[in-house]
Amino acid sequence: MTDGHGQADDGIEPDGGEATTEDPSTEMAIQTDVSESVNDSDYTREAGTLVEARDVSVYYNDDRALNDITMDIPENRVTAMIGPSGCGKSTFLRCINRMNDMIDAARVEGDLLLRGKNVYDDDVDPVALRRRVGMVFQKPNPFPKSIYDNVAYGLEIQGADGDYDEIVEESLKRAALWDEVKDQLDESGLDLSGGQQQRLCIARAIAPDPEVILMDEPASALDPVATSKIEDLIDDLAEEYTVVIVTHNMQQAARISDKTAVFLTGGELVEFDDTDKIFENPDSERVEDYITGKFG
Amino acid sequence: MATDTRSGDIESFGTVSKTVGTVFRYVLLAATLFGIVVLGALLVYVANDAIQPLTADPGWHLTFLLTLVLPTLGVGAYLYRRDTDALRFGATTVGMTVVTLMFAGGVGMIFVDILSPFVFLAYAVALALPFALVLALQRRARRIPFFTRAGATTLAFYVSLLGVPGPVGAVAGLPTIVPGVPALIQSLPTVPLGWMSLTATLGLGVAALVGVYAARVRDRRAGLFAGVGALAAIGAAGAVGPAFGVTSVPAVVLASVAVVPTATYAAGTAVSRPERRIGLLVPAVVIGGALVGEVAVGALGFAGPQSWVDWQFLTSAHSRTAVDAGLYPAIGGSILLMVTVALLSFPLGVGAAVYLEEYAPDNRFTRIIDVNISNLAGVPSVVYGLLGLGVFVTYLGRSTGTVLIGGATLALLILPIVIISSREAIRSVPNEMRQASYGMGATKWQTVRRVVLPRAFPGILTGTILALGRAIGETAPLIMIGAPSVLFSLPTGFTSKVSAMPLQVFAWSSLFASEDFYTKAVPAGVVVLVSVLLAMNSIAIVLRNRYQSEQ
Repeated sequence: MTDGHGQADDGIEPDGGEATTEDPSTEMAIQTDVSESVNDSDYTREAGTLVEARDVSVYYNDDRALNDITMDIPENRVTAMIGPSGCGKSTFLRCINRMNDMIDAARVEGDLLLRGKNVYDDDVDPVALRRRVGMVFQKPNPFPKSIYDNVAYGLEIQGADGDYDEIVEESLKRAALWDEVKDQLDESGLDLSGGQQQRLCIARAIAPDPEVILMDEPASALDPVATSKIEDLIDDLAEEYTVVIVTHNMQQAARISDKTAVFLTGGELVEFDDTDKIFENPDSERVEDYITGKFG
Repeated sequence: MATDTRSGDIESFGTVSKTVGTVFRYVLLAATLFGIVVLGALLVYVANDAIQPLTADPGWHLTFLLTLVLPTLGVGAYLYRRDTDALRFGATTVGMTVVTLMFAGGVGMIFVDILSPFVFLAYAVALALPFALVLALQRRARRIPFFTRAGATTLAFYVSLLGVPGPVGAVAGLPTIVPGVPALIQSLPTVPLGWMSLTATLGLGVAALVGVYAARVRDRRAGLFAGVGALAAIGAAGAVGPAFGVTSVPAVVLASVAVVPTATYAAGTAVSRPERRIGLLVPAVVIGGALVGEVAVGALGFAGPQSWVDWQFLTSAHSRTAVDAGLYPAIGGSILLMVTVALLSFPLGVGAAVYLEEYAPDNRFTRIIDVNISNLAGVPSVVYGLLGLGVFVTYLGRSTGTVLIGGATLALLILPIVIISSREAIRSVPNEMRQASYGMGATKWQTVRRVVLPRAFPGILTGTILALGRAIGETAPLIMIGAPSVLFSLPTGFTSKVSAMPLQVFAWSSLFASEDFYTKAVPAGVVVLVSVLLAMNSIAIVLRNRYQSEQ
């Protein structure tokens, strides 16, 4: 990969130890003091875990939207979160990149660790955090800019080095959009179809080479053909990225994810396990009822 | 029992009375039309007084009916039935011709009587040099710390405009080592002619825009050709203009502000939408018909209307007799005032709007500001005049009635309107855009600058232009700050006394009230004022339509 992609990786070493961020402008506020973080909590991280949630609760004013969530999200896997509307799965997703900070009434308790660093520590700058956590939203939301500028947006705001043309091409290829748009990079991203727009948003999210890609029901506004393209894409992305996806389409979760977390009403994580196990032989009866469509 | 009657066929559903609704609907229609019709009637009356179409020979009317009106109506009707898009394109071209001609008049006035093209060139170069430097720096290194960059930028502009050590050194008593670029250029032994300077500044700018437009319509090669062609056309206008009785400087202005942009629009649309080409019939018929009619009435000896709005009225100053009176200094004054108002109110208003929409916390203080801005928008303009007089003249001790004070007072007057309309535009940027930007790890500043403002810009511009339209018609504040009602020459700078069109009209109708003045000069002044206002608003309308069609 190019320089621009390379640099995102050297800030945080999974093995711990102080990472030396030589380039100050990468604004690496997430320091890697893994040993300390781990000692603080009583948990030890499994190998290959990227995101650890420890008793994460979210309150909107005094209402509890998320109830003591504890889960380990594995690296380079697709982790799906399913559940009925209002169960808090999107809220949890937005905790990982602290998008909930934008809502004044929201309050987060508990520890949420990304590569061992609690993202809710006082010394974490949420803006710097979000530069390492890509996000794809429910409704395709490309900027009213050219396709090229959409993909290069993350690089530009971070002032990343490297050949932008190359990174843009690479990102569009990974998002399986390059062949469709390579002759119209100067045209507005809003002129694309809905499915193309969503793939453009995925290309935009992966261009700065993030640690995790969060997807909030990325296919729910799309038709079946576009949806299946997005699903194929998510499958491919997992080779290099960790994908966390919220969906209320259970078949989709079963098709694309390695691990599935089932949230049920009240902001409760009822079961979190391998996807096959969840769909074939869940431990919890409530999960089985939900999967088989008895409610929700 | 009931089931029996229900199972049978229905013969009639009966009717429900809608009388009240119908009456209500037409009352509403009347309410909608009342103001427009009354105002329209008044304007027709005023225009009749100003232009006096009935004083023309019947032959004159007949000639233009045959050469201009009937062919235009014919083509219009044909296109209306065949292809309304093409008709719209043709009508837009005609409208653009008229509006750009008016703007060319204003710009020409500036370069003929207010600002020498050569001084303009000197300052344009002095600004372009550091700007190019800054752009090059930014491209070379994306990561210069903010304060270094801001410092270097400021220094570059300071040195370029004012020299080393410049005014700061002059205060300390140091001699000038290197003069600034404007001084340097103006001290050159040989200086270019006015029209050459103008071609190199205004012409180059227009040509660059034409090039970008053509590159977007077609490709880069076409863009290059179009840009070079436009520049050549503008230069040629300056060179050959005198041979056709148009002085060089106005010829360059006419070419760069009116002819080239209109031609570019017409050609660009004809290339990108070949099916609308037929719409070009409209401008051809209108312009051709007008020319043919003009030649015909000249040859046949028909006299035209004795219009009060004529070249003499537009280019001479006030006079004791209504026949010789003109609006020239007032038009120039209004233009300078509008420039000042725009420069002052746009950054302040947009800044306040961005703060209130994007940054301000939702607390009592913000809400108080909120309510008060709405209140300020409704404060009578005479009160703003008093404010301007109190603050600028009495408190700051500036002399009365200058361009700067008038502009500042009018800027204060429209500031609340600019803020409110800019906030509206910023609020209409979908929240998903902001979310997407924040999700990418953009700071608030990056989000505002790269996502919110570009998207809201057409709306902000529309609102500001409409607000400027309000300012151009204001009389009371100008009277309060002591602007002279009658001025015999154009203001030459920001500190010279200024009059304005509404003020001149007011003076004609009150101070010089004689039959001739208030039945002839006043309507003529009103027609000019309203035409300028409509030309400005037409830009706002075009911008808004484009903005809406993009969404």
